[in-house]
Amino acid sequence: MKILNSEILSNERYGPDIYKMEIFAPHIVKNVGAGQFVNIRCCSPDKRDPLLRRPFSVFDVEKKFNVFSILYRVRGKGTRYMSELKKGDTVNMAGPLGKPVEPVSLKGNLLLIGGGMGIAPLNLISRIAADEGKKVSVLAGFKDSSLLMWERDLMRMGVKYRMFSEDGSWGQQGLVCDHILDEPKVLRDHDIFCCGPVEMLKVLQRELEREDIRATAILEEKMGCGIGVCNGCVVKVKKKDGIDYLRVCREGPAFELSEVIFD
Amino acid sequence: MTDRLFKWEKENEKDVPGEERSSRKPDMSVEIGRIGLKNPLVACSGTFSHGEEHSNFYDISVLGAVTTKSYSLKPRKGNPPPRICETPAGMLNSIGLQNDGIDVFIKSHLAQMKKDGAGIILSIFGKDSEEFKKVALRILDVKADIIAVELNLSCPNVEKDGTSFCAFPEEVKKVVDAVVSMLDIPVIAKLSPNHDNIIQSAEAAKQAGAEAISLINTAVGMAVDVETYRPLLGNITGGLSGPAIKPIALAKTYILARENILPVIGMGGIFDYRDVLEFMIAGASAVGLGTVNLIEYDAGEKILLDLEDYLVKKNINNIRHFTGRIRI
Repeated sequence: MKILNSEILSNERYGPDIYKMEIFAPHIVKNVGAGQFVNIRCCSPDKRDPLLRRPFSVFDVEKKFNVFSILYRVRGKGTRYMSELKKGDTVNMAGPLGKPVEPVSLKGNLLLIGGGMGIAPLNLISRIAADEGKKVSVLAGFKDSSLLMWERDLMRMGVKYRMFSEDGSWGQQGLVCDHILDEPKVLRDHDIFCCGPVEMLKVLQRELEREDIRATAILEEKMGCGIGVCNGCVVKVKKKDGIDYLRVCREGPAFELSEVIFD
Repeated sequence: MTDRLFKWEKENEKDVPGEERSSRKPDMSVEIGRIGLKNPLVACSGTFSHGEEHSNFYDISVLGAVTTKSYSLKPRKGNPPPRICETPAGMLNSIGLQNDGIDVFIKSHLAQMKKDGAGIILSIFGKDSEEFKKVALRILDVKADIIAVELNLSCPNVEKDGTSFCAFPEEVKKVVDAVVSMLDIPVIAKLSPNHDNIIQSAEAAKQAGAEAISLINTAVGMAVDVETYRPLLGNITGGLSGPAIKPIALAKTYILARENILPVIGMGGIFDYRDVLEFMIAGASAVGLGTVNLIEYDAGEKILLDLEDYLVKKNINNIRHFTGRIRI
């Protein structure tokens, strides 16, 4: 991990209020593993507002060009500031951070289950796995069709997918969780990675537990430092001798879904 | 006239060859009771873990000292999440002293810290003076490896509503006494801004044998989600840190330092070298870098270099020059 001032190659709208930022950073491209993130200062260098860095999952990498990208939704003044950055500007960031997950599929196939912006880390897993010649399937659910551009990215990667939207404007109408058991055989044949809102993960946990199927969840939590010193971003996890609090930025962001306790 | 002088300084700086320039390097060392530090920058407890992470970003042995996170007798799981919430110019935390326990520190983390080479201030915590004593007892065998023990008497996240030991000077005295009676290395008492008795607490600490006071710990604070009506921290209240508390920390430093009870390590919202100077002018003998470590991972090195440059520019050859120089 390093602190870098890296050049922005593009910062374009990906959907309403959603942007994809491409950053030139050989260090990140060379070292990043699936599930890892970068921690970005979301204000101009002479300002301290917002004070804390913000973590962003690495969305994609283009090794040939030493470029990686992040996907973000404008939600507060930090992401508003980022959305106003232009090609040629720099971002101050540290990374890659977090423990990389190995999408080494024991079963040979990967199933990625995503919800909303939770697709960001899944996209990188899909890229890495597809590059290694693994079969990747995606099940994803959204409120509406604001992330429709993602479908184009998945098509280019040659990934099989099924989309669901609550308002019916993209794919099938409904919630992704209502359809994960549509094909139980598929679930058993795949290594499963999931990322999305807590409500979605809770349902997934319950449904998969009933079928006795394992999955890896990529979690998000507000972070203080992102490098493992402050113990701020912990999640509650079941352990043999009770419960423990583990850091999303250090032991995570990937956890065994069945071990996470969502209060 | 001023302009010319400035120009001359600039040209002069450019002309000085490397060796001569380094011979002009100011003396950055400070003394806090028996504790001698090569410079006044100390990493604050809880913001630097054991230094291992930050040593990925710079050589942490350049720091005056590193204060470990607070260790207790037994491991502590800490408070339920969420534990972090950003507020204007600051952050709230309610970590709750999550740590592996003093035995794990001694067995596993201490060796790494020694290798990293920074002076070690070991922060300890106990639920009462007896427990502090037991922790101190564990340290006996490794006391040669640490330059001081800091007693965390002021964490607002372990008792209800942010109460801590230093609400009661007689408790401060009891705890300091318990540790000093076990260990013959310097003891620092860390105090809180949340109680209106720092002078009494510092006096109590001094009577019991403490050699320095570090202050301030975080200020009790809270934030609420207006959509859900719920507090934004799992522990309801937390400790506020960052630039938001710097004026409070400076005032407490000034108020305590002018009493000349014990040397003060001032901390609270320091983000650059000018903040360091403010604390020293207000009376601090050394300063703590806290929240800045969570954001600018190389802050320790950068602030030190900036401080040295400033002293050279101002032709001041000794950092101790600033301590207590406030003009009233």
